[in-house]
Amino acid sequence: MSEHQDPKPSPPNSGDGWRVLSYLIGGVLLYGGIGFGLDRLFGTEFLLPVGIVLGAGLTILLLHFRYGKS
Amino acid sequence: MTAGVPTEFIAPGPQSFDTPPIINGVDWFTKPVLVSMLTVVVIVWFYWAASRKSAIVPSRLQFAGELGYNFVRNSIARDAIGSQEYMKYVPYLCGLFYFILLNNVAATIPLIQFPTFSHIGWAYSAAILSWIIYNAVGIRKHGLWGYFKHQTMPAGVPWWLMPLMIPIEFISNIVVRPISLSLRLFANMFAGHILLLVFVLGADYLVFESGKVLLAGVGVVTFLMGLAIAGLELFVQCIQAYIFVVLTAQYIGSAIAEDH
Repeated sequence: MSEHQDPKPSPPNSGDGWRVLSYLIGGVLLYGGIGFGLDRLFGTEFLLPVGIVLGAGLTILLLHFRYGKS
Repeated sequence: MTAGVPTEFIAPGPQSFDTPPIINGVDWFTKPVLVSMLTVVVIVWFYWAASRKSAIVPSRLQFAGELGYNFVRNSIARDAIGSQEYMKYVPYLCGLFYFILLNNVAATIPLIQFPTFSHIGWAYSAAILSWIIYNAVGIRKHGLWGYFKHQTMPAGVPWWLMPLMIPIEFISNIVVRPISLSLRLFANMFAGHILLLVFVLGADYLVFESGKVLLAGVGVVTFLMGLAIAGLELFVQCIQAYIFVVLTAQYIGSAIAEDH
């Protein structure tokens, strides 16, 4: 998996930026949502921001692996 | 309203987009429906007329038709999907592009001046159609489980990060894509049209109903700004149609790509 190479580098297209945006929204939505749910479950308040930051960080990492090495 | 008597300015809002039925009693037949039907007639007529007498030395109309078709075929479909399989998707992408383009530009054409996609249902249905198509071609190519793996396993990520990355990949590829497609188109059309309304109705109020010379002068400037915004909006309308179709093509391209 790790030495896998994309056979066809994605073309330099104007759509790439918008795809990145949907990743960022997805990551923040998912981990922020998990944080929100856990907050409701435990009655705490700090897990939503932790989830949002974690989601954004993980998404940027994902984008680095996905687009940064071509 | 007579000039010189100050009246209350009613700001445009979402209610400005409420379109009553054109014919009394036929509730579904509203302005966006009429505009979209007109655009379909125009597109069908244009491509029918352009391709009716195909000649080696093209007529002016045939040339225009080929130009419009080749733009979608070469610079959207072939670039995003790849030269192997793109021809299958050109009819859909071409139809989608000109449908969205004409419906957007309808907001600028005098007497029509209504962007169909400022009603969110239209944007939802266009995005859902693209969503169904790119998922369907991906499932047909890779099989259900293969496609699911294809869309949730991000390439190049170390294995120990996979459990955290797979949900992000799934959410962004399957859930967020159709939402962002539809919201981007809808919000641009809605916001652009409301901005125009604010400037033009504001100018109208300042010039004709505020009853003060100074404010009337400001109103003239406001109107000129409104014209500039209208030019900007024409640009945004074309760009949004282009982005919608480029992204659809890229989603199809990534759904059928062989990278596993």
